[in-house]
Amino acid sequence: MAVTILIPAPLRRFTGERASVEVEASTVAEALAKLDQLYPGIRERICEPDGRIRRFVSVFVNGKDVRSLQGVETPLQDGDEVGIIPAMAGGQWS
Amino acid sequence: MVLIPRAQYEAIIAHARREAPREACGLVAGHGERIERVYPVANRAELAVEFFAERGLIPPGRDYRPEAPGSIAVERFFMDPEEQFRVLREIEASGLEHLGSYHSHPATEAYPSRTDVELAAFWPGMLLMICSLADPARPVLRAFRVVDGQVQEEPVVVED
Repeated sequence: MAVTILIPAPLRRFTGERASVEVEASTVAEALAKLDQLYPGIRERICEPDGRIRRFVSVFVNGKDVRSLQGVETPLQDGDEVGIIPAMAGGQWS
Repeated sequence: MVLIPRAQYEAIIAHARREAPREACGLVAGHGERIERVYPVANRAELAVEFFAERGLIPPGRDYRPEAPGSIAVERFFMDPEEQFRVLREIEASGLEHLGSYHSHPATEAYPSRTDVELAAFWPGMLLMICSLADPARPVLRAFRVVDGQVQEEPVVVED
């Protein structure tokens, strides 16, 4: 399956500033592995060593957070869009 | 320097007032140093307990459940991820640049907290706008960038 991975601005230094990357993959995990083959080091910004998505990162398939789907095992169809964004968070005290 | 039209400046303050005592949050987009649009995003702090806890950002003994008396949920923001993603796509599709984010400090000054500085590391160099309602009659909007843990202020110029 040819899928498009959308790279968020803070991770574009890994991809030579490319905002999207096409890979062949049938699950989110496979897509992230292929991305890491192209741009070594990027996957550890997204996943824990055991493969789960890091808590401060969200991964989307066609705009749906994969936490509400099947996590990194979420299957991909031809033409799917995989989005990645780091959390935006903060707070007023300490 | 950050240039912001009066209407967008007022929109951030109005959003902060609407959400108080909870924190309001959103994204800002435009071109270069000029903000042209602001996008409110839902604050889902109550769904992000583990996120804050694993960074030591929940003081001991504080309750996180949003309805609990003295809940710390009113003192944190965590943007709804799907909405954040949708807005970022919308910004891109409209030909604007994503310049950064804003959030409110309903009861403290308009300056990045330790939590803000630490979490800004996920979006290095982006604008971090903070709206303080500590004096309800005189809201204050200031802008910062956090680079390598260092806070730099950007003067905010409101355009009439």
